[in-house]
Amino acid sequence: MNIEKIVFGFFVLLALTLNFSFMVGEVDNPAHHHVIEFFLVVIVNIIVTGLKLGDRSQIGALLLATSLVADLELVAAAIIWTFAVHVSETGMTPETMVIIVSLAGGALIANVVSVLVIVAETLMLRR
Amino acid sequence: MQDSAAPDRVTFIVLRYMRRPILALVTVYAISMVGWVVIPGTTVHGEQEPMSFFHAFYFLTYTATTTGFGEIPYQFSDGQRMWSIVSLYVGVVAWLYAVGSIIRLLQNPHFRQAMATRRFARFVTRMHQPFVIICGFGNTGSLVARGLSDAGMTAVVLDPDQDRINALQLRDYRVAMPGLCANARVPAHLVQAGLTHPACRAVVALTGDEEVNLKIAVATRLLNPQAQVIIQSTSQVHEEAIATLGGDVHIVDPFKTYAGYLAATIDNPRIHVLNRWLVGDPDATLDQVPSTPRGKWILCGYGRMGRRIDESLRSQGIETTIIEPEPPEGEETPPDMIVSRATQAVLDEAGVKSADGLVAATDDDAYNLGILLNAHALNPGIFAIARQDLHMNEELYARAGAQLIMQPSLVSARRILFLLIAPALKSFFERVRDARLDDADGFLPGLFDELRTVVGSQASPRVWTVELTQAAAPAVLPVLERGGTVRLADVLKEPGDRDRRLPCVPLVLCRGDTVQVMPDLATPLHAGDQILLCGRERAVGLLDATLANEYTLGYFMTGAEPPRGYVMRWLLGRRGTDRVKGTPA
Repeated sequence: MNIEKIVFGFFVLLALTLNFSFMVGEVDNPAHHHVIEFFLVVIVNIIVTGLKLGDRSQIGALLLATSLVADLELVAAAIIWTFAVHVSETGMTPETMVIIVSLAGGALIANVVSVLVIVAETLMLRR
Repeated sequence: MQDSAAPDRVTFIVLRYMRRPILALVTVYAISMVGWVVIPGTTVHGEQEPMSFFHAFYFLTYTATTTGFGEIPYQFSDGQRMWSIVSLYVGVVAWLYAVGSIIRLLQNPHFRQAMATRRFARFVTRMHQPFVIICGFGNTGSLVARGLSDAGMTAVVLDPDQDRINALQLRDYRVAMPGLCANARVPAHLVQAGLTHPACRAVVALTGDEEVNLKIAVATRLLNPQAQVIIQSTSQVHEEAIATLGGDVHIVDPFKTYAGYLAATIDNPRIHVLNRWLVGDPDATLDQVPSTPRGKWILCGYGRMGRRIDESLRSQGIETTIIEPEPPEGEETPPDMIVSRATQAVLDEAGVKSADGLVAATDDDAYNLGILLNAHALNPGIFAIARQDLHMNEELYARAGAQLIMQPSLVSARRILFLLIAPALKSFFERVRDARLDDADGFLPGLFDELRTVVGSQASPRVWTVELTQAAAPAVLPVLERGGTVRLADVLKEPGDRDRRLPCVPLVLCRGDTVQVMPDLATPLHAGDQILLCGRERAVGLLDATLANEYTLGYFMTGAEPPRGYVMRWLLGRRGTDRVKGTPA
């Protein structure tokens, strides 16, 4: 048992599951995707990135890369969301929602890779 | 024409061969074209006009080459038709002559040789991996090439016999093995084979001709002093001449090696078992240690080898009876030697029925096999050691029932491979040979126990070298630079459980000029150390991973897994200091 592994595993899995639950629903229906849930997804992903900083091994580098990919896509989605609601005159449209949800889908894949890498590393160590 | 100018030679041969056909073609074309531009024809506009040079050449191009392309600028006049008959026949004949010459040129053995040499030289020039030049692709040469291929090392082969080079090209090597049919006696051929190439590591001379081998050694010393020279030699005179050359020269005398090895094996069969196992003989396991009997021995053949075996047996107080049909003249021979061929009657007379051991060490395979059969007929339980000269007799020897079979070419080849691939193994075997043969010092039994428990006694272990450089061990060097201590035992652990060892045993540790055989696992490592290991395939990758991953190494050294990320390190570190502060002093 290693306290770092527990905390790390918890946050990585939380990021993945939150990301998934945000995505569930019709792609273009703004009523199916709540902004608070999206906020949690972004925050947890950034926390995970922070936890990954500092690991100098090859696997550590790969994990950090997956996290950065997820962050990039989620932040892009957040900017689009903010722009749609506050700047554009049309407000949130189904078209904009599709872009946001599909970007979150990209982040989901990065999170899945992250979890797979952690599972593979743990199994390889056999201890 | 010099051999070193092979590319020029190809051009030269082509020019000389094609001179007449090209002249003939040019003449025929010239005459035909002159005819066409003189003989008038009728154009579409009905004017009387001969062909232009362009049209004449165009017409000849498709008729003389018998292409028969049917586009004609305009209808021919009868004069033109007559001239086209002439030019077509002459042109076709000239072309056939030229094509025939080209085919003859391609079949010319000198031309083919020149082309092969050029291709070979180009290939060698473009090689960038370290390689070895093998001169002579006989029994030993092909075994060395096979061994190098298994170790992933390229070799360039020179052999004066085209059949051997063809045989080389039919083998399924894992790496490129370019071969050239050429006599290594000519230094230019050695240069073509890459002797002066910066990646040339060693030259192995196995030509079977002592003079040629010596010349190869001299050429190597002069043209590439950095290259290692390994020479097969069986004559004392040549060995002395070679040894005085200096530099990195090794002489492999198959008879000496073989006799020494045979003698050591009779002394202690463990050496034979260990050797066979380490070189990866598929049938060898560490469990089958035959026990050599110490009663009376019969020795058939008293040549250079028989003599050494006899010396070795007698020095251990073993009684020997020698049978030799043609004892060397002018040399001292044992008084009780039986001068005869070893027939069944003679073997019986020599006391084979009451003997414990038999050595068939003549240089004739058929004779050795005959001795084995006769001896087994008289004494089925006798311990037999047989010398096998030719690889092709393997099946016969397998059935002849000898406990130990020695192939000089195999012994030479393995020795050469050790020198090329794992030079540290030499010190290991020297230590093995120096071990007390009665096992009083416990070196050999200890080694066997270690190998059996850690690596396992089943066949085909991997023998490989690890060098502690920044590239190969990026996790170890920073620890050493910080003044930390990494012990041999620290890196040889199982990633799954640091209390277990990887299935590999360090055989030799080389540090500069000092060589440690069977190093203690508590030995601290230094940067630049070379470790020769013997183990299972699995251990190779795991050890590489440990040497490259500072976290695995740290876990092995301390057993603890500190947090890796900045955040957790900061958090856990603060909690740790709090706890330290909180503890009563």
